[in-house]
Amino acid sequence: MKILLLLAWRQLVRQRLQSALTLLGIALGVAVVVAVDLANESSSRALERTLDALTGTATHHIVGPPRGFDEALYLRLRLQGVRASAPVVEGFIRIGGETWRLLGIDPLAESRFRPQVESTDEGALRRLMVEPGSVLAPPRGARHADAEGRMVAEAGGRTEVLRLAGTYRSNAGIDDLLLADIATAQTLLDRVGRLDRIDLQLSASQVEEVAAMLPPGLHVEEAEARRGHTEQLARAFQINLRAMSLLALLVGAFLVYNTVAFGVIRHRELLGTLRAVGATPHQVVMLVMGQALLMGTLGTVLGVLGGLVLGDVLLALVTRTINDLYFVLSVREVTVAPGSLLLGGGMGVAVTLLAAGIPAREAARVAPLTVQRRSHLERRTGRGALIGAVVGAPLILIGLLLPQLAERSLLAGFVALGLIMIGAGALVPLLVAGIGAIGSRVVRGVLGRRAVRGLSAGLSRSGIAVAALAIAVSATVGVTVMVDSFRVSVADWLEAILVGDVYVAPPGTVSSRVDGTLDPSVVERFRALPGVAAVRGTRRVEVMAESGPVSLLAVEAVSHTRDRFTLLAGEPESAWQAFRAGEAVFASEPLAFHRRIEPGDRIELMTDRGMREFPVAAIYRDYGSEAGVVAMGMSIYRQLWDDPDHSSLVLYAAPGVPTDTLLANARAAAAELSQTLEVRSNEAIRSVSLAIFDRTFTVTRVLRLLTVLVAAVGIFGALSAMQIERAREHALLRSLGVTPGGLFLLVGLETALLGLVAGLVAIPLGVVTAEVLIDVINRRAFGWSMDLVVPPAVPLEALTLAVGSALAAGIYPAWRMARTPPALALREE
Amino acid sequence: MTAMQGRKRVGARWCLPGFLLALAVLAGCGAPEPPSDSGVNVAEALGQAEAEGFARATDPRRFRFPADHGPHPAFRNEWWYLTGNLEGTGGRRFGFQVTFFRIGLSAEPVESPSAWAANAVWMAHFALTDAHGKRFHAFERFARDAVGLAGAQAEPLAVWLEEWRLTGTEDGLPWRLEMAEEGIGLNLSLEPQKPPVLQGDAGLSQKSAEPGNASYYYSIPRLAARGTVTSNGETIPVTGLAWLDREWSTSALGPDQVGWDWFALQFDDGSDLMLYRLRRRDGATDPHSAGSFITPEGGKRALAAGDFELEPVEMWESPRGGRYPVAWRLRLPALGLELVIRPLLRDQELELTVRYWEGAVDVHGTRGGRPVQGRGYVELTGYAE
Repeated sequence: MKILLLLAWRQLVRQRLQSALTLLGIALGVAVVVAVDLANESSSRALERTLDALTGTATHHIVGPPRGFDEALYLRLRLQGVRASAPVVEGFIRIGGETWRLLGIDPLAESRFRPQVESTDEGALRRLMVEPGSVLAPPRGARHADAEGRMVAEAGGRTEVLRLAGTYRSNAGIDDLLLADIATAQTLLDRVGRLDRIDLQLSASQVEEVAAMLPPGLHVEEAEARRGHTEQLARAFQINLRAMSLLALLVGAFLVYNTVAFGVIRHRELLGTLRAVGATPHQVVMLVMGQALLMGTLGTVLGVLGGLVLGDVLLALVTRTINDLYFVLSVREVTVAPGSLLLGGGMGVAVTLLAAGIPAREAARVAPLTVQRRSHLERRTGRGALIGAVVGAPLILIGLLLPQLAERSLLAGFVALGLIMIGAGALVPLLVAGIGAIGSRVVRGVLGRRAVRGLSAGLSRSGIAVAALAIAVSATVGVTVMVDSFRVSVADWLEAILVGDVYVAPPGTVSSRVDGTLDPSVVERFRALPGVAAVRGTRRVEVMAESGPVSLLAVEAVSHTRDRFTLLAGEPESAWQAFRAGEAVFASEPLAFHRRIEPGDRIELMTDRGMREFPVAAIYRDYGSEAGVVAMGMSIYRQLWDDPDHSSLVLYAAPGVPTDTLLANARAAAAELSQTLEVRSNEAIRSVSLAIFDRTFTVTRVLRLLTVLVAAVGIFGALSAMQIERAREHALLRSLGVTPGGLFLLVGLETALLGLVAGLVAIPLGVVTAEVLIDVINRRAFGWSMDLVVPPAVPLEALTLAVGSALAAGIYPAWRMARTPPALALREE
Repeated sequence: MTAMQGRKRVGARWCLPGFLLALAVLAGCGAPEPPSDSGVNVAEALGQAEAEGFARATDPRRFRFPADHGPHPAFRNEWWYLTGNLEGTGGRRFGFQVTFFRIGLSAEPVESPSAWAANAVWMAHFALTDAHGKRFHAFERFARDAVGLAGAQAEPLAVWLEEWRLTGTEDGLPWRLEMAEEGIGLNLSLEPQKPPVLQGDAGLSQKSAEPGNASYYYSIPRLAARGTVTSNGETIPVTGLAWLDREWSTSALGPDQVGWDWFALQFDDGSDLMLYRLRRRDGATDPHSAGSFITPEGGKRALAAGDFELEPVEMWESPRGGRYPVAWRLRLPALGLELVIRPLLRDQELELTVRYWEGAVDVHGTRGGRPVQGRGYVELTGYAE
């Protein structure tokens, strides 16, 4: 056995290039899986920590209208004995270019609510209370303060100077909150006289009692429900990331399988010899498995290390996307989750062993002499290709049917995607054989025929390599088509909604969200602006629906507004009439999807007059919020909510007034106001929105790149091994008079053919993947529909990518083949 | 003299109660344990407001009532301290302690458009001793001096923290004291039986030799109390006698005291006695210990540290740590008084952000050879471990 191990080791060392490539392949596959998992884990933990800090030990919250409610309620509750209660004013401010969540609290009411945070500075609390504008910051936030402890902050469009009262430390890892006394928070966040919520600790029996004390428009909400809602938002995004990592895992697994299996096949003569000299089948299996285990372990360790580094990069991208879309969150370091390392590591070792196990068993089972014979192997592989097809076709079928069976399940979508890919991969060897068989009849010319025949003749080697390449390329195609389709749909949608010329809003703290307010006087100011034909105000707030918070968009129902809504369901004429009359609302597509709303259904919303029911007249397209939006006319909003403010204004240029002139006028007007406002043209908004869109998919792009890289490394490994393997055959050709150039051409042609087959398989497979990503995964994760758009360049790109990476991988072996003197190659026999 | 002042007396820094806990721990003020729910704020030192800007008690002043029953926000600290012994039907005995502390955070008002801005916070303690049921309950609250959560005013008198309150009527008297928490309640009308007694030098109670290290201090040693006590689900009509201590100051004291023993006793012959002994680190009695004897007519005789002898006769081991002398022998040779003081319950320790013992007591003894008895309250600080 010792000899066997020594043999295995020597073999690895002798074939340095092969070994290195196998290692690299395993390591890359593992690294991608580990990195995505770490980034996901770290961001969810940070989200959880922040939610913990925000929720504290509260069991319930009293929440109300968008701009908060009268602070007098708090005293009333306290006097009526609801003593486990704490007032909260919450919002966002910007310091040093970073958005911070500001939590305004009453320190004296807090002790039982937020035990995770405590200040270490003596007297910090007193300063917090008696020095207006003072805040408690985590150490990293304290860096923004000057020597006197002053920090410049932007709050609600105003510039304020804050004072650092002290730093806090948190045993729960919270470092993205600023704490302030409630008086400071009310002032900074423009909430004087109002509270955003009251945190409560209630037993089940007290809930009704407290609810009965509340004025209309306010209600008691379970802390878990509120929290769950936020987590759910980020989860959809994380699931998509995980899908990408699973794709990487799939490709990585194919690759590992390919390299390892190929290595075993390559050494079948050695194995045969060993059997011939008396090694038992068991010993042979042990030899192969031991070698695989060694490679698998080494590659996995490298992969885990690489994953840690890569995870850091991905985390930054993931966090940025979460901040863009969902929630202000800071994640500064990767939380090393043992689960992530185990997942990646386990995958690496397991797939390696699986990949080695099947050929090893086969090699061990065959009679010593047969195993050395190539023709037998290829025959067996030919049968394998048939089996692959028999297994693969039903897999694809199940994959296509599954999403229909499990109608709303996101998991089913992923499983379907996996099945389709694996099924297609299994079909590839037969396809290669078929193309080889047909090709050899059609193609003329010695080299051409040889090259085509080489395809099916070397099926044991080429089959899996082509399958891996095809899957990698199809994943790339699928993701590209999905992202492009998405982008086209978003651009169309932006085109439709950006009907005004100039947009005015307070600077947003979360880029995709407007959460500031414009007071009515500001509106008047812009209405009087020269060159303005019309001013339309919109109000975007969060209100409670029976099934949790929902965004509400109130728009002035003037004639332009109509173009703003692309109706997907509902009878346009009557829907629009009902909307304008204030008799009905529209639901955005994600809302309709998540809450199963159809035109004609009713949605209940908490108004300042209590719960009200609204008929839903139509479903409209909206990529702005995946949580969903209810749109209603401004007049009905003003009737039911005591909120005279606007979130943003749309200015329409008078006939003959260029947008630039209006923009300049509006900017000049905004500069005179005390509130900082962002005044932008519709073009600027469009480009900013698309920039955020692109940023969101940066992480996808990075993963896509990694997937192709993994596949290319695999192809390179497989092809170079294959060509080295065929040294004797090629030497024979040389000795028969084929020139080195001719041989180079032959090998190149063979390789290109492999790439071509992979590319041809990848195009339809990629489009199907895109279709699944769009219609199943995205729809189920976000509720968005979009039209499949296959850019004309995609098929060409797929072929180029497949042939290109195959050629790139084939050049070195081809060159080596051409260079080797035939005698030397023959002598190796 | 109160628990709070006692705490102030010890340690290099002032030991302010409640959320100043961390400081109190550092200063060894009875070494209270951090409460288990210490959170973002309560466990944190609020820090001591600078004395600068606050008024100091340097000279005797003219007291005016009822105005002086109300707040004196120019001073950093102030309290309303009520204790009393009550009796229900069938001789069922109760004791109560209610304290409202105002703690100034800044001498200046806080400039803010928000109604929540406050330059003072309030802490209140409420303890009830149920001698018959052998139960002792103690509660604590904090609130800021804003949005109506807590505050004080003179006319009509109102001192409150949420729904805990001491209020006067439009005509002034009687006062009403309403306290309730977790099924324990107190609802009393309080009618002074004697005029206010100005403690120390005409109300200026000097705490050390340094000028300004003093407080303004008066007591109403005898208030007739009538109302109800709620305990154990029962509401019981009660009558009895209460004692009011009022003190305000901006003082800072020396580091050598570790705690003190305070006594407020009401005798059945109509006379009353207040005295306190400050204990120094070395166990000796601080020379600034003092007291006063009030005749049934309200006349006051000042007592100095040398006028009385105190000797513990029973020690009680707190399950929370520390040994308290809960029964005493007290001799006042100049008054011919020899007394034994015994608690209604041994365990009348308040386990709050600062731990101390404050409890109802019975007094038996002789005055000039003739038997005398009474009831009262004793406060023991600096014993908790």
